[in-house]
Amino acid sequence: MTSRLPILLAAAAALLVPRAEASTADAEARLQSAVGKVLAVAEKSSTPEKLAGDLRPILLDYISFDAMTRRAIGPGWRQFTPEQQKRAVQLFTTLIIRTYSDKFTPGEHPVVKYKAPVTPAPGRVEVPTSLLYNGSSYEVTYRLELENGWQITDVLLEGVSLIANYRSQFDAQFKKDGAKAVLAALAQAENK
Amino acid sequence: MIMIPRLRLLALLAALFAAALAGCSAQQKKPPVSPAGGQTKADPKAILTPGDDLDEYTAVTIADPLEPLNRATFWVNHQLYRFLLRPVSKGYETVVPQPLRRGILNVFQNVEFPVRFVNDSLQGRFDRAGKETGRFVVNSVVGVGGFGRPADHIPALADVPPASTGQTFAKWGIGHGAYIVLPLLGPSSLRDTVGLAGDYVMNPVTWVGIFYGHWAWTIPVSVTDTVSIMPDKFGQYDAASQNSLDRYLALRSSYAQARAEAAKK
Repeated sequence: MTSRLPILLAAAAALLVPRAEASTADAEARLQSAVGKVLAVAEKSSTPEKLAGDLRPILLDYISFDAMTRRAIGPGWRQFTPEQQKRAVQLFTTLIIRTYSDKFTPGEHPVVKYKAPVTPAPGRVEVPTSLLYNGSSYEVTYRLELENGWQITDVLLEGVSLIANYRSQFDAQFKKDGAKAVLAALAQAENK
Repeated sequence: MIMIPRLRLLALLAALFAAALAGCSAQQKKPPVSPAGGQTKADPKAILTPGDDLDEYTAVTIADPLEPLNRATFWVNHQLYRFLLRPVSKGYETVVPQPLRRGILNVFQNVEFPVRFVNDSLQGRFDRAGKETGRFVVNSVVGVGGFGRPADHIPALADVPPASTGQTFAKWGIGHGAYIVLPLLGPSSLRDTVGLAGDYVMNPVTWVGIFYGHWAWTIPVSVTDTVSIMPDKFGQYDAASQNSLDRYLALRSSYAQARAEAAKK
């Protein structure tokens, strides 16, 4: 019995240890698949409006808009009613998809280089990339979290987080008049 | 005699096993979020997963005691951009083809070598100061006055993070002080405004007047410098403010985050 224990442990360790690494690789593979699909669609779409429509199903599949909205609104989220939360996710989803689609110039072919992923906590992976676009190079970092599979939860352009950027704006609205003000500002931003 | 290594191996395996288990259970503790995000549930807290830190994005902010004044300056700047500088920038982009624009930007960036060299040195990063010197020599000679950037293709000289006086102050532990929106230049802080003055003095473009005997000689060079960088600057401005709820707050947050990121490098 005692002589078998090390073997059993070794076998168990061999099974379990690579899983953490494989998980990071999964996250990276999932991001690459998302970026690949987005670029394939972006090459075909002619106008930003059409692109936003074409990208929507892909982005809904790969991005956790629930997590994004929650984080962007912050602690005030707890004071939203379920209906308000649902509305906030809807509005923010459309806004993010539009913001993202607006960044593409028709006819430009971005080149994405993936760098070594970082694991800040279990179930979280950050993938730094460099994006060559319109003759300039940008640092874009993607944050992924393990929810139902790996989902993108934030994008950082040159160290500036999309979520943190909206967070400061939502905070100001929330201080004014709570969830109502946040939803009104979101709806207004969308109609611009 | 062979007991000791065996025990060690056993201990190592046990530790690995424990670590793997801990990693596993930590992942399992997080309950999966339902596809709909669970908004239909009565308890709003049900949407929050344990360990879902709603406060994690509050870290990077900047004090803004002058907000009313800053907002006014910001508004004036926005109109200036809209009606004067953006058309100039667009015109420049239309008239000058992209490779030439990139080359002109490269020349100015190359000329600003003293700013990076001095600040890397002041930050005690002599390895980077050395790399910057190498870049300057290679780009000036092989890249014909810095028009091309052949140093990017030399692994030892590629990817040197930029250095500025504001960043040096940050490294020395000096805080922003307060957020300031400068006329024309836009988002800055007390610390970075002083830093800009340092960058300005160290920038050879400023010295052109001294070489040619009259300050007016600086003007055409400075204008070219400014115009050449405008398309990039407007790109950043738009990236930060597109689809925002409050353009002023969006730019302020982006500025605070970008500066914190620069100080980390």
